[in-house]
Amino acid sequence: MEYIGEHLLIGKIGNVFVILSFVAALLASICYFFAARDNEETASWKGLAKNAFLVHGLSVIGIVVMLFIMLYNHYFEYEYVWHHSNKQMPMKYILSCFWEGQEGSFLLWTFWHVVIGFILQRSAKNWEAPVMSIISLVQVFLTSVLLGIVIFEHRIGSNPFTVLLRNHPNFQQVPIFSNPGYLEKLNGKGLNPLLQNYWMTIHPPTLFLGFALTVVPFAFAIAGLWKKDFIGWIKPALPWAFVCIAILGTGILMGGAWAYEALSFGGFWAWDPVENASLVPWLTLVGAAHVMLVNKTKGQSLFITFLLCILTFVLILYSTFLTRSGILGETSVHAFTDNGMSGQLLIYLFFFLALGVVLLCINAKRFLIKTGEEEGLWSREFWMFVGAIVLLGSSFQIMFSTSIPVWNKLFDTKMAPPSNPIASYNAWQIPFAFVVTLLIAVGQYFKYKQTALPDFLKRLSISFFASIIVTALFAYALHLTRAHYILLMFSTLFAVIANANYIVTVLQGKIKKAGASVAHVGFALVLLGALISTSKKQIISVDNSGTDISSLGEKISGRENIMLKQGDTLSMGEYEVTYIGKRFEGINVFFDVDYFSKGKDGKLNKAFTLSPRVQTNPQMGNVAEPDTRHFATFDVYTHVTYANLENAEEEKAKGSNEYSPAQIVDLKKGDSIFASNAIVILDSLSTNFDKTPYNLKATDIAVKAYLRVLDIAKAYTANPVFIIRNNNIQKPEPVKVEPLGLQFMFSKIKPETGSIEISMQEKKSNKRDFIIMQAFIFPYINVLWIGCIVMVIGTFLAIVERLKKNV
Amino acid sequence: MKKMHIIGIIVIAIAIGTIFTTLSSTSTYASFSEAAQEPDSEFHVVGKLNKEKETVYDPQANANLFTFFMIDNKGKECKVLLHKNKPQDFERSEQIVLIGKMQGEAFEASDILMKCPSKYNEGKIQETTASK
Repeated sequence: MEYIGEHLLIGKIGNVFVILSFVAALLASICYFFAARDNEETASWKGLAKNAFLVHGLSVIGIVVMLFIMLYNHYFEYEYVWHHSNKQMPMKYILSCFWEGQEGSFLLWTFWHVVIGFILQRSAKNWEAPVMSIISLVQVFLTSVLLGIVIFEHRIGSNPFTVLLRNHPNFQQVPIFSNPGYLEKLNGKGLNPLLQNYWMTIHPPTLFLGFALTVVPFAFAIAGLWKKDFIGWIKPALPWAFVCIAILGTGILMGGAWAYEALSFGGFWAWDPVENASLVPWLTLVGAAHVMLVNKTKGQSLFITFLLCILTFVLILYSTFLTRSGILGETSVHAFTDNGMSGQLLIYLFFFLALGVVLLCINAKRFLIKTGEEEGLWSREFWMFVGAIVLLGSSFQIMFSTSIPVWNKLFDTKMAPPSNPIASYNAWQIPFAFVVTLLIAVGQYFKYKQTALPDFLKRLSISFFASIIVTALFAYALHLTRAHYILLMFSTLFAVIANANYIVTVLQGKIKKAGASVAHVGFALVLLGALISTSKKQIISVDNSGTDISSLGEKISGRENIMLKQGDTLSMGEYEVTYIGKRFEGINVFFDVDYFSKGKDGKLNKAFTLSPRVQTNPQMGNVAEPDTRHFATFDVYTHVTYANLENAEEEKAKGSNEYSPAQIVDLKKGDSIFASNAIVILDSLSTNFDKTPYNLKATDIAVKAYLRVLDIAKAYTANPVFIIRNNNIQKPEPVKVEPLGLQFMFSKIKPETGSIEISMQEKKSNKRDFIIMQAFIFPYINVLWIGCIVMVIGTFLAIVERLKKNV
Repeated sequence: MKKMHIIGIIVIAIAIGTIFTTLSSTSTYASFSEAAQEPDSEFHVVGKLNKEKETVYDPQANANLFTFFMIDNKGKECKVLLHKNKPQDFERSEQIVLIGKMQGEAFEASDILMKCPSKYNEGKIQETTASK
């Protein structure tokens, strides 16, 4: 069949670029390999290699451009475009569509490697050939993910340019493809609503740049082992390691900010497997960079330096495997599904792991058995080494827990992740953080080789005692009682104060030289902010009406959600909270919630409005997004967990005279019923009343109920009558209270219990809208965000200084 | 190399410590019957919503209680009391993971994870009604 309007040429061009980039990367890797050998042919190999990598880089850029054109123009004939975008979507999210899929995110990663490669070609000097050979080899693997060719019945990679929607195995039988003009009618599936957020346009490229940068210390370390220059590689790799720390760290924290602003779990960090998978390589990299610093001249602890550099990159590959293979299954909210790539990813992982381990083993005896001088106990080298070991331990604990699904696969066990992951991770990570922050506090006061201990203690004592006082004040003001929180607070404050003091007294305020200290202050502030905002997180939407379920575990309150009816006001923490109503704007339903604060005179003043929303998405499910009000010292977070999203039904109910089904209640004298807008009280019963309006006969038995109906403003009465005629109960007449939309019938007398039966009906329009919501207060969370910025600034200061020294 | 030996021992001790505590803090995937045998321990139970039976969520009475019936992977049905709000889109879920304890006849869940069907595998293609 001839299809109309398909754009097949662009796919063919894209596919050519894919093949070209793969072949050129392979060629570059081989040529750089020969160029790295020391003989007379080196120069010609190097020339060839440079050109091959240039072709590779340009092809990757070509792939990126082609994919963009396809997404931009909504070429839904391509499965990738159809799967990740649609016509309604704002242009700003086209970027997110690009990297939503596996192919796109690998492409992003590949692209950053190209950029890094171009820079290294110009800056790495005599390290260029071995380092670029490794990077090109990595590129061979990465571009093979896009190949989409079948070899021996195994498909290698998935190619966004060759998979047409109409050829996709899932859509073989879809009738739309029998129409040659099907494209006219086609719309894309669209982007996952969770990703339609501004953080999602900047978080993935930053994170992937961070991932990509880990290849540099790895490639340098491998090159060092290969060329048997065990120390020389460290200096040129150092600035890269620190750039990577800054960028990967920013990427991770952006993910936290996204979770805090747009996800609904009520926090910025949940020890989710996907979060852990990016945090762990960062930790090992921080360890790597610090031991690189102390080994760059003498090389006392080279083994761990190599190990950490190699491990970091391998962990990045392992993270990719964890998150992309679908092995995490139901343990992660992110849970990507397997699209047949996991075997391929494992091969990459084991290849680079083996490369590192083999090279390390071959050379091990060169730096493991090194008799003679060992660094002194009170030297900076030694404590940097200890710090790296602690970071390694922390990484190990996180990775071991996160890999539970992997252990299940390997050992056929049925372990589930801890039911309270945050508590079980914190149990280990708080002590680790304590040790790390202590080391950060004292680290710079140690001198290289040997420190004079009395001098060291004297310099630190001021900071130490100041931190104790500040900790005591903070702990008192914040009502911090748990010992491990107080200890962590002390160590983070100690790190902040000692490093600030170092800048003032030792560096005499020379901020340009203070990069490390500034970064350390920032890191400690991040931990401090995290500590206070999570340990003192306050749930203000407490519902005390429910049953007590403390038997299920102390962490589970079962009371975090509260119902708020439209117009009602409930007290939450220091606020009075009112649900105003909902607004429909495009695909979003906003729920306006007003917060009032009590003035000194007891009057309520409106403080602010929060509008948490639900993004409706019939294709992929609705997504609720919280709304947060930021203050200098705390945040008020509000999230709708359940709400009626229908508009039409309520509109119909408005002004309608229909009544809802009756509510039947047994009442004794003095009992009351709650209607949605009033309280109904049975005052009395009487047989002695004026019977003329009821056309009663003398033989009839009649009882009249006196109901008092109270709303906020006024009291009404309703007097339904119960009649027995000739031993038959007469059909009761409803008595209406028109202003309140209520009607009552007196339907039974129950002498055995001494009660009567009243059936009450409410007009449908009486039903008020309601939401189920959660409200939390996060105190001092700004300390965390400020810490992030300080840390990044500090790291860049350190990089600038380092580059100056290297030149 | 004395110092290195001490550090080595500490590292190994910490590694063993993490492995053991991690293994002891893990929960277990189980069926309703297995969970019923140990009413004091917490389990993860995987299953499907029984769509035939009624689900009850009455926020007026208790906004933190949602009741439904789930059939576990072994085919056993059990009443579930979830001590949370009713999750949005609950009826669409194709797989449920409950975290909680069996208490008598009912499973008391403190948390729930749901897997919603990915439309991708359903072979459906959305058509634009007004092609614009």
